[in-house]
Amino acid sequence: MSKYLKINNLSYSYPDGHEALKDISFSIQKRESIAILGPNGAGKTTLILHLNGILGNLSGKIEVDGLKYTTENIAKIRETVGVVFQDPDDQLFMPTVIEDVMFGPKNFGYSNEDAEKNAIEALRMVGMDDFQDRAPHHLSFGQKRKIAIATVLASKPKLLVLDEPASNLDPASRRDLIEILKNLNISIILVTHDLPMALEICERSLILNEGEIKEDSQTKIILQNEKIMKENRLELPFGFALHHLGDE
Amino acid sequence: MYSTTHSHHLSLHEESKLKDIKPEHKILSTFFIVISIAFSNVESLFQILLHSLIVFSIIFISRIPIKTYLKRLTIDIPFIIFALFLPFLSSGNNDIIYTFMGIDVFKTGLLDMFAILFKATLGLSMGIVLTAVTTNIELIYGLQKLKLPQIIIAIMSFAIRYIDVFIDEFKRVKVSMRSRGYEEKGIKTLLPIAYASGAMLIRGYERGERVYLSMISRGFNGSIELKEREYNSSIVLIFLTIGSIIVLILDMYL
Repeated sequence: MSKYLKINNLSYSYPDGHEALKDISFSIQKRESIAILGPNGAGKTTLILHLNGILGNLSGKIEVDGLKYTTENIAKIRETVGVVFQDPDDQLFMPTVIEDVMFGPKNFGYSNEDAEKNAIEALRMVGMDDFQDRAPHHLSFGQKRKIAIATVLASKPKLLVLDEPASNLDPASRRDLIEILKNLNISIILVTHDLPMALEICERSLILNEGEIKEDSQTKIILQNEKIMKENRLELPFGFALHHLGDE
Repeated sequence: MYSTTHSHHLSLHEESKLKDIKPEHKILSTFFIVISIAFSNVESLFQILLHSLIVFSIIFISRIPIKTYLKRLTIDIPFIIFALFLPFLSSGNNDIIYTFMGIDVFKTGLLDMFAILFKATLGLSMGIVLTAVTTNIELIYGLQKLKLPQIIIAIMSFAIRYIDVFIDEFKRVKVSMRSRGYEEKGIKTLLPIAYASGAMLIRGYERGERVYLSMISRGFNGSIELKEREYNSSIVLIFLTIGSIIVLILDMYL
């Protein structure tokens, strides 16, 4: 199978000297879903920002859908890779929901009609099409999160990157979110501390710790390995049973 | 508990006849009527009567409850207080028209007082009507239609969007301060509030950066445009606006 996203030897240091990513290399295939696990401060968010070419490291070390990350390709790359940020209040800034969801498609050159069509379709995918004319700041956190996902889906990305999508969600909203993600049929990179969610959506997981990839394996194998889990400050929720993983 | 209560607090447009009128028309009407009131001559009874008639007809068709209107008009009080002093202070040509217990009343001052009372009250009334029948999003939309620079539109929509988030955050900070025993008592206890404000400022700045990142990741290229909306035109409003300008011009030349 062809490699859809390739990252080769990506390193990044912040201006204050902090080395956030050290020689990261991995690839994913089309329609593959992977989880990126790791403790706080491991470099996960920095990696996400790179996937959208936001931190300006455009030396061609990343390639998506045959497009190298260069200044010329950047608009196309941002259309291909959709990033859902951690705090929906950062992502939803327009006066009404529909305008927010139309923001991406309009920037990527869709006509007003097409942008609206895409937006309505994206809102329907996350079950929020009744909220078009509402103001984002009057919605609940779970609703905002779903709309933040719609704002990205509206540009029809081929790779969806989500930064902690389950944080602060009530169990029912978390369940809705998992169902939405399972039905998307595009490549997904899920950055999360929610290990059961990673297990449910992604067959494969990477562990990022101290800016390095420490592990790249099947999610269930990682979760079953106590040593790896402990070394990387990961822990399954209390009471979570591994027996349904198959080989316990 | 943390919900903001002030959103759309000025707008009560649901019952109003002016609610479906194009916001750009409402803004322009307000602008022209206020301008023609500002330039009108307070010595002309013709202007005073007709301008008042126009403004009160607009208040009437806007269907703002009279109580709300009067309550909002209290913003006029500082102007009124200032104006009431003018007859005793403003002595343009030393044209005393009356002396009361040794205090002179000047004609220039008296005219200035009328000018302020008349112009400020009518001008404010127009502002009250505009904000009562137009939501803040509609105001921005109207300004976009009037071709105001993109950057100003963007700043205004951000302000409206994030003022709620900001107020909510500040409320949470204050709740967490109180839960640790903080009580606001006099000026000395304001220091923690000042620190909290500083922290909020930095958080606001950081949020600004994150919002910007999320915007570039969706291909932001410098323009934020609100979606097309459908509104009606109001012949009555256009008629009253033109009427107001005509009153001003007629009085200049007659």
